[in-house]
Amino acid sequence: MTDLFSTLLVASLATPLAFLGACFVKGWRRYALAFQWLAPLPSLATGLTGLTRAPLVYDLPFLGFTLRLDPPGALLLAGAALLWIVVSAALWRDRQPDNRFGLSWLLTMTGNVGVFIAGDLVSFYLFYALVSIPAYGLFAFSDDSGHKRAGAIYMAFTILGEAVLLLAFAMLVIGEPRGSSGIVDVMAALPASPWRDATLGLIIAGFGMKIGMVPFNGWMPLTYGAAPIPAAALLSGAGVKAGVIGLIRFLPLGIASEGWGDALVVLGFFSAFYGVAFGLTQQNPKVILAYSSISQMGVITAALGMALVNGQADASLDVAFYAANHLLVKAALFLTIGALATQGIKRSHANFILAALLALSLAGLPLTGGALAKLATKAQFASGPAAALATLSSIGTALLMTHFLICLAAPPPAAAQECPASLIHFWPAAALGAILLPWVFYSAISEAPYGLEFGDFVDGLWPVALGAGLALVLVRTGRSLPRVPVGDSIVLEEAAFHRLLSVGPSLEALDARLRQWPTAGVSLLMIILALLMAGVSGS
Amino acid sequence: MAELATTTPGGYLLVLAILLPVVGMILSFTPGGRNAERVALCSTPFGFALAVAIAFHVSRAGKPIVYAVGGLPPPLGIALRADGISAVMLVAAAVIVAAAGFYGRAKFATPDGVREGRASLTFWIMLQAIWAALNIIFVGGDLFNLYVALELLTFAAVPLVCIDGRAETIAAALRYLLFALFGSISYLLGVALFYGAHGTLDISLLAQRVQATPVIWMAAALMTCGLLAKTALFPLHLWLPPAHANAPAAASAVLSGLVVKGSFFLTLRLWFYVLPALAADKAAIVLGCLGSAAIIAGSIIALRQARLKLLIAYSTVAQIGYLFLVFPLAAGAQTWSAIGWSAGVMQILAHAFAKAAMFFSAGLLAEALGHDQIAKLGGAARVLPLTFLTIALGGLSLMGLPPSGGFSAKWLMLQASISSGQWLWTLPILAGGLLAAGYVYRILAPALSDDQIMSVSPPKRSQELIALALAAIAIALGFAPQTFFDFLEIGRPVAGQP
Amino acid sequence: MTPSVLAGLTGAALVGLGLYGLILHPHPLRKLLAFNLIGSGVFLVFGIVARRGAAAGFRFDPVPQAMVITGIVVAFAASAIAVALILRLSVESSHVTLDPEVWTKPNGGDTK
Repeated sequence: MTDLFSTLLVASLATPLAFLGACFVKGWRRYALAFQWLAPLPSLATGLTGLTRAPLVYDLPFLGFTLRLDPPGALLLAGAALLWIVVSAALWRDRQPDNRFGLSWLLTMTGNVGVFIAGDLVSFYLFYALVSIPAYGLFAFSDDSGHKRAGAIYMAFTILGEAVLLLAFAMLVIGEPRGSSGIVDVMAALPASPWRDATLGLIIAGFGMKIGMVPFNGWMPLTYGAAPIPAAALLSGAGVKAGVIGLIRFLPLGIASEGWGDALVVLGFFSAFYGVAFGLTQQNPKVILAYSSISQMGVITAALGMALVNGQADASLDVAFYAANHLLVKAALFLTIGALATQGIKRSHANFILAALLALSLAGLPLTGGALAKLATKAQFASGPAAALATLSSIGTALLMTHFLICLAAPPPAAAQECPASLIHFWPAAALGAILLPWVFYSAISEAPYGLEFGDFVDGLWPVALGAGLALVLVRTGRSLPRVPVGDSIVLEEAAFHRLLSVGPSLEALDARLRQWPTAGVSLLMIILALLMAGVSGS
Repeated sequence: MAELATTTPGGYLLVLAILLPVVGMILSFTPGGRNAERVALCSTPFGFALAVAIAFHVSRAGKPIVYAVGGLPPPLGIALRADGISAVMLVAAAVIVAAAGFYGRAKFATPDGVREGRASLTFWIMLQAIWAALNIIFVGGDLFNLYVALELLTFAAVPLVCIDGRAETIAAALRYLLFALFGSISYLLGVALFYGAHGTLDISLLAQRVQATPVIWMAAALMTCGLLAKTALFPLHLWLPPAHANAPAAASAVLSGLVVKGSFFLTLRLWFYVLPALAADKAAIVLGCLGSAAIIAGSIIALRQARLKLLIAYSTVAQIGYLFLVFPLAAGAQTWSAIGWSAGVMQILAHAFAKAAMFFSAGLLAEALGHDQIAKLGGAARVLPLTFLTIALGGLSLMGLPPSGGFSAKWLMLQASISSGQWLWTLPILAGGLLAAGYVYRILAPALSDDQIMSVSPPKRSQELIALALAAIAIALGFAPQTFFDFLEIGRPVAGQP
Repeated sequence: MTPSVLAGLTGAALVGLGLYGLILHPHPLRKLLAFNLIGSGVFLVFGIVARRGAAAGFRFDPVPQAMVITGIVVAFAASAIAVALILRLSVESSHVTLDPEVWTKPNGGDTK
């Protein structure tokens, strides 16, 4: 059985790579891109198989990579694979995206699958780069200057995050006494490493850039606003979870660290409320969903922070469940925008109620998957200020989601065209799936009861009701919130960046002067002198 | 150290490796004309085979292979020595010279019916001369012998810069020549001081005799600075951008990829083979600081260039800065020194292949579109997909993203600088990667956009494939196994030990 | 003042004069002459080394003499190339100068 599992694990990676290879052959390219929804199938199987097993490690012979699958990774892998299969199949069934888009899609998919099963630092870094960088091609190849700006900002944050993570990973490798770069080995050596604090800081910063932790959140609203709905669904659903798996893997959850844990909790809840507050100022449903992602990722960060404070190693599975639920719901919500914007679908009450259930499930509406997700993270938000803040964030999410439902009445103009027809027809199934699928998997991750008692019902319902009520009150009072540009802090960061750019012309002027022959000649003599003095004084 | 002075089995291969391009030069010159191309191209597979054979012998012996010219061991005679890094550089030089030769056929071949021209003859002879000079540099064991090889390298590279005959290329070539001569004469003075102090110029003998006196430091400073002038380390880079940007693509690839690496290789030989017994920490820091300045300044100026070839030339200035970080990172005998050493050599190889591929692509682009203005590259990727794939792969290595040789080099450099406690160097390493991402983005983003563009003439498929092959090698270097890094350690003297 | 010291001072003076010319004089031909001047100074240093390193039986060490001869040949070849380039430059364009400003077009970047 282990052999079958290992084969599945390798096949999860090999299949998308095979599709990528097929793209190089001119005759096969069209088929490879059209049928790429088949590529994540082994990953789905692997994820489902790996949910209940002990972690499996597999060393790839030639490339020097290690693959490793543990239950949190398996859960996210299964969810992401499902999402990729459904959206890819629908997208290529109805329309033929051009080769650039198709290739970017396939590359992002490969990276997404790989990032959950990577077992050593170098392969993780590779797949992390693959899931982040080609995603540029999903929305930024256009003449629209807004899209280009979104793309440039996305790239800037991505590359900055990569650089920060590179330094963190180098520190992790050095801290490991035998020089192994396997994730398990370096994490075991991290608590004893002399650079532990710097490494943790860099890891939080690097992965924080991916999940939209404040102050690195500016790119998310711009990107999800610019991306077409299928791409936005995938990026917000599966792409962002690469950052989540990064935090899960690279935070030493088994060791209680009060300082870093508290910092993470503060940052997490700050992001959670920040996302709600700024999301309320927006009208574009896609942007609102982006702010909701910022908020939800903040909750995940806070949960991980509490796990770090208490030293709970099994929190990884709980957080992964929460993230997997968010994956399904957020993707379905993006599809909702497209579905309810199309002329064909009448604004029937049933559809709207389904959309409302879906949206509020994010806030923990009882009997939905979201309630189970809240239940899963109960161990982290058990007591103290964390519990109160968690409840407050549920209220905030409900508030934001109700605002989203209200803004669905005025969708962005292109929303109807962006969503392929088959996805729109499939939408009710997708929404129901997002609400109900977590019920199927809950038993795999936790033995705790399902929370079907009446007391739990009330506990879950009152924050949602309060939040929804607040939103309706806001609408009724007609108080308009201040207009904040999409991406809020990004405007400040862009201004700072432009000021940084001013060093360019002055450096060019310096270079022009250094390239004058007399200056260069004198520089040569001065370097001789400098080397001489360095040598003589050193000995 | 008798074992580094007497001929070992396989030593004759070193002589053959040097003689092959020299004989090729003579044969190219005598029949002349269109035969020059045939001689040059036919000799490339033999040269590659020789380089691989040398590598095989070195790896089997586990120590450097030696050849005492004329049977006379140093200090009376001259020894040729090939250790791990020599063998690797010989192979790399053979591959890149071959690629440049086959790429250059489009412009410098003289098919039947076309009059023989001076430009073609010059190209093939100078290409082989550069190859010969590089082979001597990589295996030479005597400092004055290396001086002659260095001069041969410069004199062969200068005509390649001005092969077009345009006025600005001649000015660029003249600037290159005069500044390189400034460097040479500084190197020669250093050689004189070394000989005056210790009576020998053989590298391994000097390593045993050298002591930390002011004369030796003066000699080291003079020689190093001369080599820095030839390697175009910031702020001595004045000749490189116009020379490399205005030369034809095949020439630029060899100039950026190999010629500057030749003088850098000599700097390595000087500091790690002749002077390891000296406490060179402060001098290493000086070199590291210059390298860091090169990385930052070169990358920022590259970001602001309007022409693609100038951008790539300034990128060379920046990447050369990475090379000089090897001096603080590989000094001494600690565990991290080996990591720093591997990082430096990997950076040489990755940059050589990636930069050659990028210059080839830039040449193809310029021919296909009629210009190389970056602002007018909108939508070019649809017209030239293979070329831009090559630029993307080469850019991947320059940025230091996995999987690529550039990533391996950066990864190892970061480990060496953290573990040696020299945190300062992590900043330019990371900043260089960010800035490189900036200028690669500047090239690729408009090219991949939706704009429409017409091509003047489609590029030749063979040239595109050669460029792609070099870029693929740069990527493949990222998968180098640990045995490769162990191979690079063969023959490296560690501080204080022979 | 022994001949070695005199030769050393002369060599230093030649190198100094040559450096002045090489760095400060703008015309390439003068730079070339300055380079040859520095070269002569360096060869004088070699001569001193030859005198001081005299082994038993020789009045002068032959190795530095060999190096000087090689150096003269290399410098000669270098001068030949440089002169050829200068002549060609004067034929191709009206200004024989290494100043980058002259060869740079105002729209940025060197002339294609």
